[in-house]
Amino acid sequence: MTQTRVAGPPAVADERIEHVAPLRRLLVRPEAGSLLGAVLIFAFFFVMADSFRKPESLANVLYFSSTIGIMAVAVALLMIGGEFDLSAGVAVTTASLVAAMLAYQFTLNVWVGALVSLVVALAIGFLNGYLVVRTGIPSFLITLGTFLMLQGLNLAVTKLLTGAVATDDISDMAGFGSAKRIFASEWDIGRVSVKITVLWWIVTVVFATWLLMRTRVGNWIFAAGGNADSARAVGVPVTRVKIGLFMGVAFLAWFTGMHLLFSFNTVQSGEGVGKEFLYIIAAVIGGVLLTGGYGTAVGSAIGALIFGMTYSGIILAGWNPDWFKFFLGIMLLLATVMNAWVRNYAARR
Amino acid sequence: MTDPLIELRDVGKQYRNIIALHGISLRVGGGEVTCVLGDNGAGKSTLIKIMAGLHRQSEGTLLVDGEEVVLSSPREALDRGIATVYQDLAVVSLMPVWRNFFLGSELYRGVWPARSLRVEEMRATTKSELAKMGIDLPDVDAPIGTLSGGQRQCVAIARAVFFGARVLILDEPTAALGVRQSGVVLRYIAAARDAGFGVVFITHNPHHAFLVGDHFVLLNRGRMRLDCTRAEITLDELTQQMAGGDELTALEQELQRTGT
Amino acid sequence: MIQHQRAVRVAALVAALLLATTGCSGTGGKKAEQAAGRLGAGVADTPRMKVAMVTHAPAGDTFWDLIRKGAQAAADKDNVELRYSAAEQAGDQANLVEQALAEGVDGIALTLAKPDAMKAAVAKAEAAGVPVVAFNAGLDNWKDLGVLEYFGQDESLAGRTAGQRLASEGAKKVLCVIHEQGHVALEARCAGVKQGMPGGSVENLNVTGTDMPSVRSAITGKLTQDPGIDRVITLGAPFALAAVRSVKDAGGRAGVVTFDTNKALVAAVKSGDVRWAIDQQPYLQGYLAVDSLWLYKSNGNVLGGGQTVLTGPSFIDRENIAKISKFAIQGTR
Repeated sequence: MTQTRVAGPPAVADERIEHVAPLRRLLVRPEAGSLLGAVLIFAFFFVMADSFRKPESLANVLYFSSTIGIMAVAVALLMIGGEFDLSAGVAVTTASLVAAMLAYQFTLNVWVGALVSLVVALAIGFLNGYLVVRTGIPSFLITLGTFLMLQGLNLAVTKLLTGAVATDDISDMAGFGSAKRIFASEWDIGRVSVKITVLWWIVTVVFATWLLMRTRVGNWIFAAGGNADSARAVGVPVTRVKIGLFMGVAFLAWFTGMHLLFSFNTVQSGEGVGKEFLYIIAAVIGGVLLTGGYGTAVGSAIGALIFGMTYSGIILAGWNPDWFKFFLGIMLLLATVMNAWVRNYAARR
Repeated sequence: MTDPLIELRDVGKQYRNIIALHGISLRVGGGEVTCVLGDNGAGKSTLIKIMAGLHRQSEGTLLVDGEEVVLSSPREALDRGIATVYQDLAVVSLMPVWRNFFLGSELYRGVWPARSLRVEEMRATTKSELAKMGIDLPDVDAPIGTLSGGQRQCVAIARAVFFGARVLILDEPTAALGVRQSGVVLRYIAAARDAGFGVVFITHNPHHAFLVGDHFVLLNRGRMRLDCTRAEITLDELTQQMAGGDELTALEQELQRTGT
Repeated sequence: MIQHQRAVRVAALVAALLLATTGCSGTGGKKAEQAAGRLGAGVADTPRMKVAMVTHAPAGDTFWDLIRKGAQAAADKDNVELRYSAAEQAGDQANLVEQALAEGVDGIALTLAKPDAMKAAVAKAEAAGVPVVAFNAGLDNWKDLGVLEYFGQDESLAGRTAGQRLASEGAKKVLCVIHEQGHVALEARCAGVKQGMPGGSVENLNVTGTDMPSVRSAITGKLTQDPGIDRVITLGAPFALAAVRSVKDAGGRAGVVTFDTNKALVAAVKSGDVRWAIDQQPYLQGYLAVDSLWLYKSNGNVLGGGQTVLTGPSFIDRENIAKISKFAIQGTR
């Protein structure tokens, strides 16, 4: 029988997707919705609050945003890679506690404390990642476990070593000055005090954007989060990518921890609880998909900025800050609805 | 018939005391499509896994280019030119087409840690490679999820071809697709065949198989039930065999009686 | 001490591994900490007794740490085995009390942050003949509950005292920073400040106490929004230190004062960054709570004779800081 032999492939013109309009192209960007939101919020507070227009207010907004934003970048990358880290908030405190206590208790140069703390932080990140990829248990549960463990360790070990619940002041110790210059310097430009964390935040976002968009690792992060099995099938080292992402979160947790330590001189062992959600919220507002595989580093920065503007804006407008959480909830809701809508619009054929 | 690119001789696979596959022999030459048909649980996926290097056969031999080999990993199979395209894990749907195309084998320049991707080159290559196979995409930056199911399968196959595959193992590429979309994939299979690739086309649809196949192997309960060339069988016979032969006739009569 | 030797060895190892060169700090650190003797003064020869302390302390709070230290000091001196436990939810506190009763303790010291929730548990202790004393929170309710003694500070009185002093210093507009939203005692302090300075205005600002950058940022924002604020009063020592930075950030001239103290705060008072602190002597509260149970058990004494024993408010400022800083470095003030 010789029937229906398909001759060479004809051009399947009817399968073509229609041309993409410029507006749609813009809206396809994961951070499009949040950027619009950020502009609106800025305009809103600019009109509503006189003091919001002052340059020192802007510096204050940027500072607060940066303390969230630096971590949000790493958390966004991790979420794009398809995982969560609930221990990110307390890991920041762990890092600063380790550095402070080590330096103080053994009377070491604070840089020694900082380096040991870096090793500890990376080890925590590695442990999180290793457990997640090895056991296959959702990272939500694994890191919930490490979150509780770290929270307990922070309190218990601090009490054990210092006999108190806060670390001792290390501002008079060797190396403090140079460390403070790196992690917590401030410059006065006129009446405005600019913090170095803002600069580091920008550096982090730029680096993460380059990593995501222009390197193999970035490609692998998207693939690991989007469809880990497909990625594995074409030879992407998903395990290493995920562990690396957890260690990235740990690294920036360490960095943020160092900032806390060198800008406030002491650390209370109970700090940091609840901040993990702020990082996740910033990333989600910025368009990172909760299920992974989609998002940008810039989006997380916009998310953190929205956070900072809302937080300061309410105070600057002279409103009762009790409303902050309410506004934050609205913002999150709008962002997620907007993102879902944008994605559907972009994906519609 | 050309020399086989890949050949299986009396291959079998046992998982502990369960015989998943026994006495399978098949050969795929360049420019040929060998169709492996079978119902669910017939042993098709075990067969794929052996050829893809995911599992090792427990009996029989596997020959690639006439040389007896043991494939210990999917990577090794790929290195020998055997690429497997799985139905459900072909692509990462939220990623752009070109990123999917080069996933795992990205082109980059520079030395570590300052390596960066050759984005423009990859975009252009993706576009031209797909165009070669008759898929004309205006925008390779669109998420691959916006493509039709058939096109997605085709991108996955084109990717395997571009990265040096000579034997394509296609796992149910038309299973989840409608008639039109299946047509896109079948055209592509025919194109690949005509370009000299060896294709192992795994399917449970005899109509699809008959459209492009040169050889037909029917698996049932881990054994070969049928092994014939295109000249030796008609579509009706193939459908009949596939559906279980006499069983189907019995079923047909039974249903007719209860139906009236 | 063996522990110290081990510490030095580990330190040496770490330093060698990491920096190889100058790993040690020539200034500050543990070495600089005065090895002042503890408050211990021998141990009583009364029979060993077991006391449970149940508080509403949040984990990792410097203020509550002083209470615990005071309690432990008294326990060591009185030959008491101290069982310390804390829970932030009132229901859990009540459970902890009942658990202690089941364990057969000889006395219970507790805080009454939410008196109603503790009623049943206290009644149970009474029925079992276990003496109960309260401290820190529950000034208005301890008598109703049938608790023996109470040690603490009247929060609104403390607030009024602070308000009066602010008024006498010429403060017109005060920002009262609440670091735990909805905490009754903290609200009472701010309300007290308001009552204490009828001529001026007091505005409350809620901040997230577990997040220092946000505390700093919020106070900075408020000071920028309202440059007329001339005093910031915080309700916990760590927040005063953050407020000092906020004032600098906002470029304002507002003075910072606070409730409660810790080691770092004492240094800040010394340097003038923080003008003064209202002290309710948490160490004393913890100490008296345990010591009073011991006195009651061994001699039937009741401190305060059925009235509240006030441990505050007193001021720590530049006048008396020299006297107190010695104890603060030791970690007991």
